[in-house]
This record gives sequence, structure tokens and C-alpha cells, in this order.
Amino acid sequence: MNELLTQQPIYVVLVTALIVWVGIAFYLWRVDSRLSAAERRRQQ
Amino acid sequence: MKFFLMLAATILGVLLGMWPTIRRGRPAWWKALAIVAVIGTIVLSLAPPTAGTLTDAIIVARAQPNSVVPVLVTVTDVSNVPDSTQTYSATVHDARTTDHVATLYFSSLVKSAIDEIGGRPTVVHVRRLDSDLAFHAEAIGPSDPFLTLPYIPGLEERARIMYYHVPMSWVALVLYIVAMVESIIYLRKRRPEADRLAASAASVGTLYTILATLTGAVWAKYNWGAYWNWDPKQTSIFLTMLIYAAYFVLRSSIDDAATRARLSAVYAIVASVAVPFLFFILPRLMPGLHPGSSDDTTAGPMLSLKSDTLNPTKQVIFSLSLFAFSLVAFWLVNLRFRLGQLEHVEREEAQP
Repeated sequence: MNELLTQQPIYVVLVTALIVWVGIAFYLWRVDSRLSAAERRRQQ
Repeated sequence: MKFFLMLAATILGVLLGMWPTIRRGRPAWWKALAIVAVIGTIVLSLAPPTAGTLTDAIIVARAQPNSVVPVLVTVTDVSNVPDSTQTYSATVHDARTTDHVATLYFSSLVKSAIDEIGGRPTVVHVRRLDSDLAFHAEAIGPSDPFLTLPYIPGLEERARIMYYHVPMSWVALVLYIVAMVESIIYLRKRRPEADRLAASAASVGTLYTILATLTGAVWAKYNWGAYWNWDPKQTSIFLTMLIYAAYFVLRSSIDDAATRARLSAVYAIVASVAVPFLFFILPRLMPGLHPGSSDDTTAGPMLSLKSDTLNPTKQVIFSLSLFAFSLVAFWLVNLRFRLGQLEHVEREEAQP
């Protein structure tokens, strides 16, 4: 794995981009869920 | 085909982005689709190796002798006995077409890697020697790649920025148009939700404009030598950011909600008229460094009418990217709008 990342720098970019976007997706999903919960509480 | 794919991706992204209504929470499958589309875009745009043909290596060598070019080739007839300079040789031809047959020379350092290839299509980093029929293998890349991206002389790996920079710029334009439509709706029906939606769309549009500028600046650093060159395209996108910065300053400077909504709506309509002019027309009328400038022979790889400016693989990945970043943008608009609604309701309740 380490050898692959050293020889092919584009895979470093790929792994970094994936980590960043998975983090953004997780954060957005969490914010969406909290917002939905707040909307439900308000409706009740 | 290129325009059909790009148009279909944009329309699908906008329709699905606003479906069933942008004012309520998104269903779980919708959010999962947006995430899968973005991850698919990242994997498809960054994982496949860039590989050209032996002809590409020859063209590049004419401009820059001794340059190394990745090519997708099939290596056969590998010699097992080195010559007097400890160099081995093999027959090599383009993997996609068998037209170009040449001799590949390589040192003992890559001999074992070439033996492992065994006639499979492989990405080999080659340097042209003293004839178009002789190349030297500098390094061996992946064999049997599922997908390869075309090698573009002068751009190489930097061509991958296209899947991020261009869609962000186009989606920003779509969001500014959404802000304009909602502003018109506000002026006609005086619905406060339309004003909040217009502000949400403009804020996410500005975020996308900033991201397009940043990705473009990084690309410019490695292609033009500096992050910022005051190219007409860079100047016009900078003006767009200033125009929308003024929109948010205007909103924050007026306390009365009705006056703020009315003036902001008028401003957003006037601003959105300027945006297509700044994004698409002005940079094409003036000479500059950006693809599609008036001194460029094509309209840029995306909008050129020439069929060979964008390879079919790139067309599909670019369209997927356009669709994915549209969904993420509408998700952000939806979150921003719903948050604004909650804040508005709480403010109303807090008032005596």
C-alpha cells in the first residue's frame, strides 16, 4: 500500500479527496437529521 | 452526444435537486444518491491512470525531447539476453489499435516487471529514442486498467481539474438563476419563503464560485506559473464574487424584513443578468490564457463544436460530476433554507 502511494502520487490525491468528501457527506447527513428532528419537535 | 450528455446531467441534477420540493427535508435515498454520485465522480476522475498512445509520445518528444509519456501498450517478444550495454528489448504496440509497432528498450531494473506483464495491455512510461520506432521504458504502470484517461500533451494529470472546476462554476450559475427566479416570485407574491430561498441559493452559489476560483487558481499555478494572472476569466469571476458579496452586505444592512426582501430581490434579479455575461460572454470576447478566450482556436474543450475535443470517457465522467455537484448544491440550499425557516419561526415566537 505504502509503495503504491509513493509510486503513484495521484492515489494520494484520490485517498485525500475520498476522506474529505466522506467527511463532508457524514457531516451533511448529521446536520440534516438534526434539522429534521428540530422541525418535528416544532410541529408537535 | 457531448452536449446531450451535459444537458441531460444538468437538467436531471436540477429537477432531482428540487424534487419533490426544495422547502422540505430530503428522503434518505435522495441523500444516499448524492453521496454515491460524488464518491463515484471522485473515483472515476482520479483512479484511472492517464495513458496516451505511442503517437502521443512522438508528438511530445518533438516539442520536448527526452520527455516521458505514459502510454497504454502491449509488450511482446521480450528478449532474455541483454546486449553489450545491459539493455533488453521487446516489441511494443498500442493496446487499443495495433497500428503502431515499435521496439521497446529497457534496463534490468524494469525487466522483472515486464516479464510479469505477459502480453497484457499495460501503462508504460516511455521516452522516444532516436526514431519513431524506438522507445525506452522508464517505468511500468498498472496492467489491464479498467479505464484510462486520455493523455493531453501540455496538460497531462492536470486535466483532471476539469471534473471539479468546471461543474462548480456551472452549478454556481444555475444557483444564481434559482435565486433570480425566487426573487421574481417574491416580488410577485410577497412570500417571505421565496426571499429566504433566494438568499440560500445565492449563498451556496457564492460558495461554489469561491470553490471554482480556488480550484482554478491551483490549476493556474501549475499551468500558467502563478495562482492569479488577471486573465479575463479570473477577473470576471472576481467581479461576480464582488457583486454577490454586495448582495449579502445589502441584506445584512437592512433591519426591516419586508424592505430587505424587496430590495434584495430587485438586486438579485439585476445581478443574475450580469452573471451569464461575466461567466460566458466577456471572457470569450477578450484574448487571455483561459481555454475558450478569443485567441483560442476552439471554444474550450467543453463548448467546442469539434467532436474530438472531449473523449467519450471524459464526457461521461464530466456529466456524472455535473449531476453529483448539482445534487450536493441543492442539498446545501435545502439545509440553509430550512435552518433559516427555523430561525425565523423562533424569532417570531421570541417577539412579545
